[in-house]
This record gives sequence, structure tokens and C-alpha cells, in this order.
Amino acid sequence: MGAGTGASETALSPDEARTAARAWLSDHWAGVDDENWRRALVTSGWAAPTWPVGRYGRGLSRPSARAAAAEFDAAGAPGACVETAPFHDNPWMYLLGNTLLAHGGQAVCDRYLPRLLTGSLTHGCLLYSEPGAGSDLASLQTRAELVGEGEYLVNGQKIWTTGGQEAQFGLLLARTDWDAPKHAGLTFFVIDMDSPGIEIRPIRQITGDAEFNEVFLTDVPVPADAVIGAPGEGWRVLQVALAAERAGMGAAARGRAEGKAAAGTSDLAVLRAVADDLVEAARAAGRLNDTVVRDELVKILSWRLTNTWTGDRAAAEIRRGPSSLASLGKLAASRVLHAGTDFAYRMQGRASLVYDVDDPLAYPVDRALMFAFINSIGGGSDQIQRNIIGERVLGLPKGYEPDRGVPFRDVRKGSATRPVSQEKRP
Amino acid sequence: MIREFSEEQLELRQTVRRFLAEYSAEADVRRTMATASGYDQKTWEAMATQLGLHGLAIPEEYGGQGFGWVELGIVLEETGRALLCGPFFSSVVLAASALLESGDEAAKRRYLPGIADGSVIATVALPGGGGELDVAAELVDGRWRLTGRAALVTDAHVAHLVIVPARTPAGLGLFAIETGRPADGAGLTSAMGANAPTGAAGRTDTVGRTDTVGATGAAGRAGSDQTGFRTTLRPTLDQTRRLADIDLDAVTAAAVGDPTGGEAILARVLDLAAVGLAVEQTGGAQAALDMAVEYLKVRVQFGQPIGAFQALKHMAADVLVEVETARSAAYYALSAAADRSDALPVAAPLAAAYCSDAFVTAAHQNIQVHGGMGFTWEIPAHLYFKRARSSQLLLGEPAFHRARVAERLGL
Ligand SMILES: Cc1cc2nc3c(=O)[nH]c(=O)nc-3n(C[C@H](O)[C@H](O)[C@H](O)COP(=O)(O)OP(=O)(O)OC[C@H]3O[C@@H](n4cnc5c(N)ncnc54)[C@H](O)[C@@H]3O)c2cc1C
Ligand SMILES: Cc1cc2nc3c(=O)[nH]c(=O)nc-3n(C[C@H](O)[C@H](O)[C@H](O)COP(=O)(O)OP(=O)(O)OC[C@H]3O[C@@H](n4cnc5c(N)ncnc54)[C@H](O)[C@@H]3O)c2cc1C
Repeated sequence: MGAGTGASETALSPDEARTAARAWLSDHWAGVDDENWRRALVTSGWAAPTWPVGRYGRGLSRPSARAAAAEFDAAGAPGACVETAPFHDNPWMYLLGNTLLAHGGQAVCDRYLPRLLTGSLTHGCLLYSEPGAGSDLASLQTRAELVGEGEYLVNGQKIWTTGGQEAQFGLLLARTDWDAPKHAGLTFFVIDMDSPGIEIRPIRQITGDAEFNEVFLTDVPVPADAVIGAPGEGWRVLQVALAAERAGMGAAARGRAEGKAAAGTSDLAVLRAVADDLVEAARAAGRLNDTVVRDELVKILSWRLTNTWTGDRAAAEIRRGPSSLASLGKLAASRVLHAGTDFAYRMQGRASLVYDVDDPLAYPVDRALMFAFINSIGGGSDQIQRNIIGERVLGLPKGYEPDRGVPFRDVRKGSATRPVSQEKRP
Repeated sequence: MIREFSEEQLELRQTVRRFLAEYSAEADVRRTMATASGYDQKTWEAMATQLGLHGLAIPEEYGGQGFGWVELGIVLEETGRALLCGPFFSSVVLAASALLESGDEAAKRRYLPGIADGSVIATVALPGGGGELDVAAELVDGRWRLTGRAALVTDAHVAHLVIVPARTPAGLGLFAIETGRPADGAGLTSAMGANAPTGAAGRTDTVGRTDTVGATGAAGRAGSDQTGFRTTLRPTLDQTRRLADIDLDAVTAAAVGDPTGGEAILARVLDLAAVGLAVEQTGGAQAALDMAVEYLKVRVQFGQPIGAFQALKHMAADVLVEVETARSAAYYALSAAADRSDALPVAAPLAAAYCSDAFVTAAHQNIQVHGGMGFTWEIPAHLYFKRARSSQLLLGEPAFHRARVAERLGL
């Protein structure tokens, strides 16, 4: 492995990692999962062994970390190797974790990484989108101004902020330089959501629930060391967080084969399990023998499976360098989700016509039908993904960009959408 | 699942690609597809002997190199990309698979070495896919005699060995017909004889095999070499893949494997053929996409390269998703074939359906992107379109394969 942190640890083979873990466990694990134990895991690097030494990790390879994790499991000791958990267990491990590891200074890493690893930071939010800046995120207008020693004041409005109400922290993209072209004047922060000056108003969604919000930021104080990366480099830092988000979204739509099929079952059973919900829906409708329905079912199954396989190929590619395959997963996931939820909706027949906006979770089929848009709109819409694939992967020329190279001050700004906040209904 | 290839496999791909760039460039394809045989003997021999591609996945004991489906898949992806003309798919994928799956030791020993070194061109008359198959086998004086018709058999017009499924009173069986065409101008007897088991090590059902090739000699490549065996070459939409009808009138043949166990063998052969074709289609789809993307960058209209127009940029992005998705399906199926996974019966038709559609889409959009140029004979867009369309139906149309997936999932 290359130079840098923990070259000696990196060299640990799975066997050596297993031995090291066993030795450490016998010294530290007393059978009690408490705060001290979690802290010991974090300071020793066993909470996140694949992270670099100096960043709360041990610089282990994945196979070595897996070997170590097995030792902790065998001992019944929880909380080790949490950094490789599936995206949806705690997305912030990747959204915040990857971003800090890639670009965070020591101070900001020390503030957030330990709490992320002990499991005390579980709720965050993404303060990116604004009324005037969605797809064209780089045109955002929330301003962060350095006032006096080591502090920024943030003013502006964010929107579509999922989980804003519960969030402990927020990843904030704000403009620090209005004379630079739009991408060059941005800075990436991680802020505490209990800071003064933050007002959060829920927005009612298509489904009836209100998971996303408007967030108003008025003279919010943010310490200068809450910047991730350097001022003006926000766009570059954002790419790490976005990549983690898109990878997570792509993975969400894959078949749930791995989870479902127990170890030791056959390859065929794994494939079959990915179709379980579709088969059930068709069977319940009494339409499993309908050739049209069967054809559709197999098409959707094919999309799910192939997206998993493409994801596997992308993961292998990423280990060797930049991956063009990785940029396809999210777009491919859109049809998986839309087609799958559409199928379930139609199979239910007229029963799907019943839906209670005050109790959305009781109507999962209808709710999922609507939620499928989260993938095709959020995190860069399907159209934006196609632009990215066309331009960056296939190398096609960009279209006309009237704001290219122009100081942001002089750019025609995104038009604001109308106010959408509303208090939750009584 | 193949996630990435080994150094050796990447090397193999480069070698094959370089070779095909030289031997199966567009000009070669156009020249070869206009010939009577539809393949180029020099290329065929170089592939078989110089590169050893024919024998790649044939076990060493039968004269091959003993690699597996992954390596064969790499070759097929490249031949698909280069639109290679000739009976490679028929001989190396269809016939070799049929022999290997038959479990018939004597047949494997007699034919596989010739397939591996290219001296024997072989094919299988596959049922389905629009080619009717109506052949009956009858045991007369201890010899099987085949009568009937097998339509639209790939490369039957040049084959030395045709494997035909035929009905016996007890069930479906696979039968080998030696067509009596001279191989390499030297004569089939010597081509096969060189590799045939010596003396009594042979088989009990090979009665009269040498008689059956008695009609060799001067008959050449014309339609009727063996008595009662006649092939009629059909003009095809896709000139890079030849089809011929076979008429059989009491033709002597030998059973390959259990003469009543043909259904099971055939099902496995169809699955393997589907996998082979799926990778080939993936290669073709990639080539069509590459061609489209290249044109999008160089063709200027309205003051800019047309690739800057979103309607076309998004179309290209969608085609890329199709091509990579097809590749994932094909690679999964390849490893299922290589590992003899119990998922193969599902993975194979799934890949067949997906890759068929993806290649058609890529070839179709390539023409669309080229505007008026796409409608010409001059640029090769139509060659990919026709290959895509012929491959789409060769082993059954996509919906047929999806129905198979459902069936095999137990639905
Ligand atoms: C359920 C949900 C949760 C979300 N959660 C968050 C969150 O937590 N944090 C956050 O910051 N944001 C969040 N978002 C916002 C999301 O990232 C934006 O909605 C998205 O980026 C699109 O921006 P927009 O809504 O302003 O649409 P617009 O950018 O106005 O797009 C409108 C339409 O125009 C298309 N379009 C725009 N530009 C182009 C172009 N150049 N070429 C072609 N078509 C184009 C789009 O594809 C879309 O169809 C969430 C969105 C949803 C739906
Ligand atoms: C069978 C046939 C018969 C014909 N007969 C005649 C005839 O009798 N007389 C005659 O004058 N012409 C004739 N044509 C020519 C025909 O009108 C042109 O082929 C057509 O206008 C497209 O132009 P092009 O071929 O230069 O393609 P291009 O203009 O180069 O287009 C290439 C691709 O780019 C797309 N494209 C181009 N500009 C844009 C844009 N701004 N936005 C999005 N996409 C774009 C096109 O849709 C196409 O997919 C014929 C063509 C065909 C195929």
C-alpha cells in the first residue's frame, strides 16, 4: 500500500488482524456495552478499522477488517467495525464520514468522527437545495460571511431538507465569494442544528407526511473550523458527499437478495428471493398465470438483478480508480423503483384507490408508488444524471452555458418557487 | 459473478481484439459476407491454430486448452464487437456444447479435437427461434436413419458435422450427421479420422460411420454430399450469419448420448447457447454505441456538434445504461455457466432476453443518430442493426426467454 498513515497496520493480513483483535478484546472487553467501552473502541481504532490511523482507524484492508469483525462478533462485543455497515443502517457514516475523511481538518474530524462511531450521532440533514437552486445547485445564494476572528455568520434559506427537524447536524453548502464564478465561490460546512438562528418549517409532501422542511438561516454563527476543505473548495468537497448519496440510492433499489437469502442457500434461491414481493403481489391478485403479468414481472426482476450486478462491477472498478459504472446505478435505479411500485399498485387493483393521508404508513403500496420519485428527483434528477453520463462518461460536448466563467454577482439567478411551508395539520 | 478480469484474461481480450482489428475489420466483414461460404478460411485457421480460440473452452483431453466459459465469453464479446463472419458460434458454442453436454465419450473424442483445431466445422439444428424442426429417426438394421427437415440452421451449408435433434419412437434424441464435405479441401474422412479413436476403442453405435462419408470426394461444398442429405442456403437479412435449410432423406446418423435423452441435453445446450449469444450481443451493442458517440462528437448542425443537443445526449446516456446492464446480465450468466451454478437455467434466458433488447436498442439508436447516413449501405450502422435483429430471434424472441425465466423460477 502507498505511503501515509499506518503503513504497518495496512500490511496486517486477515490472520494477523484476527490475532490483534483477539488480543485487544481479551484486554478490554469486560462484557459490558457502555460509554467507556464505546470510547475505547473509538480511540483504539477498532470502531472503524478500515479508516486511516490518525482518523480513528487502523488502516486495515476490508478483508482484514472483516476477519477482525468476526472476532468481535464471536466475543459478543458490539460496536466494532461500524464504518462498513450498509448505507441505510446509518447513511451519515458515509455522507459525513467519507466527506470528513476526504477533506476534513483535524479539528472538525475530532468534533464529529468519534460521536459518529460511538453511535451518538445518528441524525443529520443536507442543507444544499434552495428555492432558486435545485438541479443547478452551484447557483445557490445562502451566504456565509467571515466576521471577526474565526467565525462565520450564515444567512439564507434552504429547502427540501429531509429530516431537518430531528437533525443533530447539517452539511451546509453556502456562498463565501460572490465575485468568483458560481462553482468557485462555495464553501462546505458541517453545522450544529441547535445553533441559534435556525428555524425549521415542515413541508407537507405528496404522501401526506412531512419529512422534508424549509430551513431559514438568520445570522447563524458557525466556527471557522467547521469548514470541510478550504473556503472556495465547497464544490469539490460536495462531490464526495454526493457520490456517497448516489451510491446509497443506487444500492437501495437493488434486489434485497443478499439480505434475504440465508447463507448456504443456492444461487437460484438468491435470484428467486429478489422477486418475492412481485410474485406475492401477482399471486394475491390471482394473476400469476397471466402471460402479460409474468413478462412484466420478469422484466422488473431483470432490472433489479442487473442493477445489483452492475453495482458489484462498479465496486470492483472503484477499488482501482474512478468508476464510470458507478454513475449509472442511480439512473438505472429509477426505473427499478418506478416500475416495481407501479406493478404492486396495479396488482392490488381497486384496493389501491384507498389511501389515508393522515396514516400514510398504513398504505405502503400507494406510499411507495409516490416515494419512488425520491430517486428520480432527489440527489440530482434523472435528467441531470443523463447530462453527467453524457458529458463525463461518454465525453459529449456541453450545451450552451450562459453563466460559465461569469462572476456569480452578475449571473441571472434561479427564480424562487413560491413558499411551500405549512405547519403540520392538527 | 465476474466483477473484474484477471491479467491473463485482459491479455486474452487484447490479443483477440488486435487480431480481429486486422482480420475482421469493416472491409473484411463486407468482403466475407458477400462470399458464397460466408466465412474466410484464412481467418478461421488463424483463429483456430495461431490463437487457439476454437479449443479455448474444450477440455485438454479432447484437444482443447481446458479454459472455461469466462474465457470463451471474452472471445465472443470481441467477435460480436467485430461482427466476425463465419461458423465460430455454430461450431464452438453450439456443437461443442452439445457434444460436451451429451456425456457421450466416443462422440466427444471423435469430434471435439477437430472442432478445437478448426478442421471440423460443426453446427446444431436448434428447435425454436422460428426454425421449424421436423425430423424423425428410425433404427434400420442397427443404424439410425434420419428423415425430415430442419429449417434455418446456422452455417449448415459449410458444416462437416451437423447435430440434429430427432424424434425416435421412444423420445427425442440428438444425432450426428457427417455431411461428407471435404475439410480444408482434404476430405472429411482425414479431418475426422486423424482424431478418431483407434481400433476397437471406438463406440458400438458408430456403425458404418466411414460408409456415411463415402460420398465425399468431388462433391465439394455443393448442397448434397452425403446421400439423402441436402442443404439449401437461404438469403438472410443479416448477411454476417448464414442460415441454411437441411433436408434429410434416410440419412445415416449416429446417436449422440442417450437417443431418448435429447430433451434434457438440448435444454442445457440452449442455455449455454443463450449465454454465448448474450455476450456476443453485448459486444455488438458496445460497438454500435461507440459508433453513435463518435458521430455525436463530429457531426455539426446548428453551429455545434449534435452531441451537445440534450435529446441526443440523453438518448446516448440511456443506451449506455442498456449496454452496461446487458454486460452485467451476460457476465453473471457467464459465471453461472463457468461455475455450473444452479442459477444458470434462470440466468441464461434472463441474459438472452436482456441482451437481445439492448443490442437492438443500441443498433437502432445508432442509425437514428446518424440521420440520413444511418439509412445508407455505406456506413456499417446497418450491419450492426441486422446482426442485432437476427440475434434477437435466433434462439427465440425476448418474451419467449422471459417466459422461460418465470417457468424456471417455479412461477
Ligand atoms: C423527497 C425529496 C427529498 C429531498 N431531500 C433533500 C435534502 O435532504 N436536502 C437537499 O438539499 N435537497 C433535497 N431534495 C432536493 C433535491 O435535491 C432537488 O429537488 C433536486 O435536486 C431537483 O431540484 P429542484 O427540485 O429545484 O428541481 P429543478 O432543478 O427546478 O428541476 C425541475 C425539472 O427540470 C429538470 N432540469 C433541471 N435542469 C435541467 C437541465 N440542465 N437539463 C435537463 N433537465 C433539467 C429536472 O430534471 C426536473 O425535471 C429532496 C428532494 C426530494 C424530492
Ligand atoms: C429515406 C430517406 C429519403 C430522403 N429523401 C430526401 C429527399 O428526397 N430530398 C431531400 O432533400 N432530403 C431527403 N432525405 C434527407 C432527410 O431529410 C435528412 O436525412 C434529415 O433531414 C436529417 O438530416 P441529416 O441526415 O443531415 O441528419 P442530421 O441533421 O445530421 O441529424 C443527425 C441526428 O441528429 C439529430 N439532430 C439534429 N439536429 C438536432 C437538434 N437541433 N436537436 C436534436 N436533435 C438533432 C437528428 O434527429 C438525427 O438523429 C431523405 C432521407 C432519408 C432517410
